[in-house]
Amino acid sequence: MLKLKNVKSCFTPNSIQEAIDILKKSDGKAALVGGGLDITVFPNPTIEQLIFLNKLGLTYIREDDENIKIGATSTITDIAKAPVMQNYLKGSVKIALAEIASELLRNQITIGGSIARHHFYSDIIPTLYALRATIMVSDGELIEGFFVDDFYRNDLKALMETCIVVGVHLNKYDDSFQFGSKRFVRNATDIALLNMAIFAQIEEDIIKDVSISVGSRPGPAYRFEQGEAFLRGEKLTEVLAKDFESFTKSNVDVAKDMRLSKEYRQHLAGIYAKEILLDFIGGVR
Amino acid sequence: MRVCYSINGKKKEFEINAGEVLLDVLRRNGYFEVKGNCYTGTCGACTVLIDGLPYTSCTMLAAKVDGSEITTIKGIGTLQNPHPLQKAFVEKGAVQCGFCTPGTILVAYALLKNNPDPTDDDIKKMLDGNLCRCTGYVQQIEAVKLAAKMLKKGDE
Repeated sequence: MLKLKNVKSCFTPNSIQEAIDILKKSDGKAALVGGGLDITVFPNPTIEQLIFLNKLGLTYIREDDENIKIGATSTITDIAKAPVMQNYLKGSVKIALAEIASELLRNQITIGGSIARHHFYSDIIPTLYALRATIMVSDGELIEGFFVDDFYRNDLKALMETCIVVGVHLNKYDDSFQFGSKRFVRNATDIALLNMAIFAQIEEDIIKDVSISVGSRPGPAYRFEQGEAFLRGEKLTEVLAKDFESFTKSNVDVAKDMRLSKEYRQHLAGIYAKEILLDFIGGVR
Repeated sequence: MRVCYSINGKKKEFEINAGEVLLDVLRRNGYFEVKGNCYTGTCGACTVLIDGLPYTSCTMLAAKVDGSEITTIKGIGTLQNPHPLQKAFVEKGAVQCGFCTPGTILVAYALLKNNPDPTDDDIKKMLDGNLCRCTGYVQQIEAVKLAAKMLKKGDE
């Protein structure tokens, strides 16, 4: 079964500049390939050239004093198994990543591909939203960082015709910060129909700061700002978790499709919101 | 375009279409032990090891892995000299129709390379992407545990 019938040539550039030059000359008929999962599962008949990114030196997970820096062609397996991720936010991000799809697919899914493609309801993006990750983009000369929210406010199609996602930076946080996520999926290999991620700073049981993201296929992931306002400044208790469940069910904005109704997703989102907060209470104690 | 792989330890060169996936290249060239089914990475039947890691070959662009070492089920054992995993799958009744078996065993092989003493949970998580409509998975888990014991005893 020839999936990409019109592809005539493949390129393996050795530099970001070279990759961008090929991309710009292609007149929109070239696709950047990190792992290649998206393009083989959702083949695009207009694509005539493939630009493989595996020789750009973008497969790395490094840290400095302030950030964990992840190269765009790092796979989910690379990231979840990286030594630096084992204790990052008490291992909670590693766990979230290791639950995405199956080992077979995690070996192929790259973080850059997940970001650059338009399927940003996927499992990874809500995690990056909640963590306030910075997406690094290069036009071959300069590298610019975008917060996730800002990145998706761009005209992505236009941006990705002249630029490449080169990596992601995650801030380092002290022990007062907690991260948790939950997902609902039909089977191991599918994209989640609902995911929620909460990232909070909790000091002396008070939620000082919080970011919440929700992804619900086929809608895009988004920041649940009403939920953040509900929790900010509150004392983290089991009662608050229960109240937040009700609030979320009533206020969360989720998509619907033939797979799962809006009402069911709202119900699940409420339960996930409560469960993540209860996990935080366990962590605080 | 031409690509070169090392398949089960032997150098091979093939003419491919630039947009082809690895599964099609392998089957066209006689590697029928690699099974094709879903073409979306959902079932795991087409699993091969690429440079030691398991991937669904139906979602892997053949051109992308030019120069790689590819291992199919025939690369880990033969009918005359089966790998402990192959022996254990037969012994525990983890094979019925056999369509998923090559992929499942290769994923288990990759697991045992890195984790020689896996828990049930480790095995379940690792085999998550390999669907089997016959055995119900319990026998597969028992087979992987038996193979782990056999490998510890040096039965390879």
